[in-house]
Amino acid sequence: MENAIEVTSLIKSYGKIEALKGISFNVRAGEIFGLIGPNGAGKTTSLRIISTLLQVTSGSVKVFDCDVSKKAPEIRKIISYLPEEAGAYKNLSGKGYLEFIAGFYSDKTMLKKGFEIAQLGDRIKDKVSTYSKGMTRKLLVARALMMSPKLAILDEPTSGLDVINSKGIREIIKDFVKSGTTILLSSHNMLEVEFLCDRIALINNGMIVETGTPQELKIKHNVNNIEEVFLKAIV
Amino acid sequence: MKHFYNIVKKEVAELLTKQLLISLAFMVLFFVSMGKITNDMEEESTRTGTGKGARTRISILNLDSNPYLQNILSIADEQGIQIDFVKSKDVKSAIKEARGQNSNILLVIPEGFSGKVEKMEKVEIEIYSIIKGLSMQEAISSGRVESIIETLNNSITTSFIQKEMPDKKPEDILNPIHTKNFVILKEKTIPESAGVLSALVMSQSTTIPLIIMMVIMYTGMLVMTSMGMEKENKTLETLLTLPVKREYIIAGKMVGSAVVGFLMTIIYMFGFKYYMSPFTSSPEMSTSLKDLGLFITPFGYVLLGVSLFLAIIAALSMCIILGVFAQDTKSAMTMTYPIMLLVFIPFLLSMFKDIETLPLSLKILVYAIPFTYPMLASKSLIFHDYHMVLFGIAYMVVFVVIAMWIAVRLFNTDKVLTAKFSVKWKK
Repeated sequence: MENAIEVTSLIKSYGKIEALKGISFNVRAGEIFGLIGPNGAGKTTSLRIISTLLQVTSGSVKVFDCDVSKKAPEIRKIISYLPEEAGAYKNLSGKGYLEFIAGFYSDKTMLKKGFEIAQLGDRIKDKVSTYSKGMTRKLLVARALMMSPKLAILDEPTSGLDVINSKGIREIIKDFVKSGTTILLSSHNMLEVEFLCDRIALINNGMIVETGTPQELKIKHNVNNIEEVFLKAIV
Repeated sequence: MKHFYNIVKKEVAELLTKQLLISLAFMVLFFVSMGKITNDMEEESTRTGTGKGARTRISILNLDSNPYLQNILSIADEQGIQIDFVKSKDVKSAIKEARGQNSNILLVIPEGFSGKVEKMEKVEIEIYSIIKGLSMQEAISSGRVESIIETLNNSITTSFIQKEMPDKKPEDILNPIHTKNFVILKEKTIPESAGVLSALVMSQSTTIPLIIMMVIMYTGMLVMTSMGMEKENKTLETLLTLPVKREYIIAGKMVGSAVVGFLMTIIYMFGFKYYMSPFTSSPEMSTSLKDLGLFITPFGYVLLGVSLFLAIIAALSMCIILGVFAQDTKSAMTMTYPIMLLVFIPFLLSMFKDIETLPLSLKILVYAIPFTYPMLASKSLIFHDYHMVLFGIAYMVVFVVIAMWIAVRLFNTDKVLTAKFSVKWKK
């Protein structure tokens, strides 16, 4: 199976601080891959590098065989990144925001898809500044998925959403994979990770400590759920 | 280009908020109101005899019986002073009566005044300025006392000369030396004083530096706000992962800010012009500036436009660079201060000083500021001096290319997300 992402001996330093200490992992095309770890482990840094936002200090990162250091503009055409603390332009309406994003793509049908994913009803015409945190998050998830990217990188996709909305978003993510999108996500919600991910990597202190399917990791650590795997492998 | 327009549209929508439009409307309302108040004050002072071109109104307590005073006062009347005599014979009652006559000044002419004047002896008159408040209008009114006395002195002297030397013209005796001014400008001899010519050129060329200052200030402030908002609202990361060239993001931000900045400047200048209209008057001159060849040619306007455009691009690219270091809107606003300073220095110098007269080190510093050139351009172009303008354009092109290169470099690295401006104090 083709690899959507190939991370090899990736090191990222911010001055004297080494945020990633030579991590390596692969994400297969069409799978949902979860990157989990405690705060400050290096998850967001990894996702930002794959999203072409941060530069590689050493090692290599390839997205569908394109090196992020050399072919960032090409990669941006096929990926979509949802940061954990993302916001939307407050002076635009939800509709205006999605139209602004759609303006960078040629697919004319994506707006309709965006409205469907956002599920904001008539509120889509209201200014983003009037939205609750959950509504903004749904708009951002819609923004990230409406263009049916080859690779969606989602940092805490259900952050700020209630149980019902979180469930809805998880189902949308599952459906997207069926249509060919590869998902790389990070989450603190172990139930979400177990429900969504085909494979996961546990990252701690800038290093990958475990990789495998949720089932493999549960058997390896002789525990009943991913939360316990996380505690055993990291704590 | 579609991506570029998309960003410009978004920038304008984000920057042109309802709050901004309301504050602009208030600003215009403020200027218009202030202009109206000033106009009303002028009309009121004209009506009450204290303003420009008004008949000055004074009350006189005349304790002198000689009719000679009437002659003097008739001359004063010809010179625009309205005289009201009070019937009272003591100062206290006279002041009360003067108030009733709506007069701000009471002159007390002492007994024997005419006799002393006729003998050309020194004579003292008392002046009472009746102050109703401490407004500017009162100050103007009180200030006219001196001119009234001067007029009276002239009247007395003129009257004396006319009486004693009827074959002579009083003005020839009072001012025996007359001057005729000429200004040599390039090959032309202009029959005017240098002061009048300079004042006229200044009145024609001060608006342009003011507009330049406003445009640079507003557009710079807006592009910094835009950068600050992207970081504060956490939208920058998303924007940078979209399939759009970083150059378009920078250009889109600059053009969007410039559009809103120009709009703000036009609205501001409209209000400001209305406010300033009572104060602005050009000195009168026998020949028009156009006849003297002191005007900006169409080619000059093109150069001025290019110079202004480059100055704006220079300001915007500097702001974009600084904006990269901003963490939020507040810190972005703080970072506009250095740019404001760089705008104010040439603006003030162009108004009050000849840059060429500065010490060499300061001169280099001022000419290193790109905004100096469009500020000086308006004056240079009136005199058809293109060398400095063309040099300025060439300098700004180099400046803009370097600044834009730095901005694009910053946007193409992760500095745009990670750069922070902080001052660390060593313990």
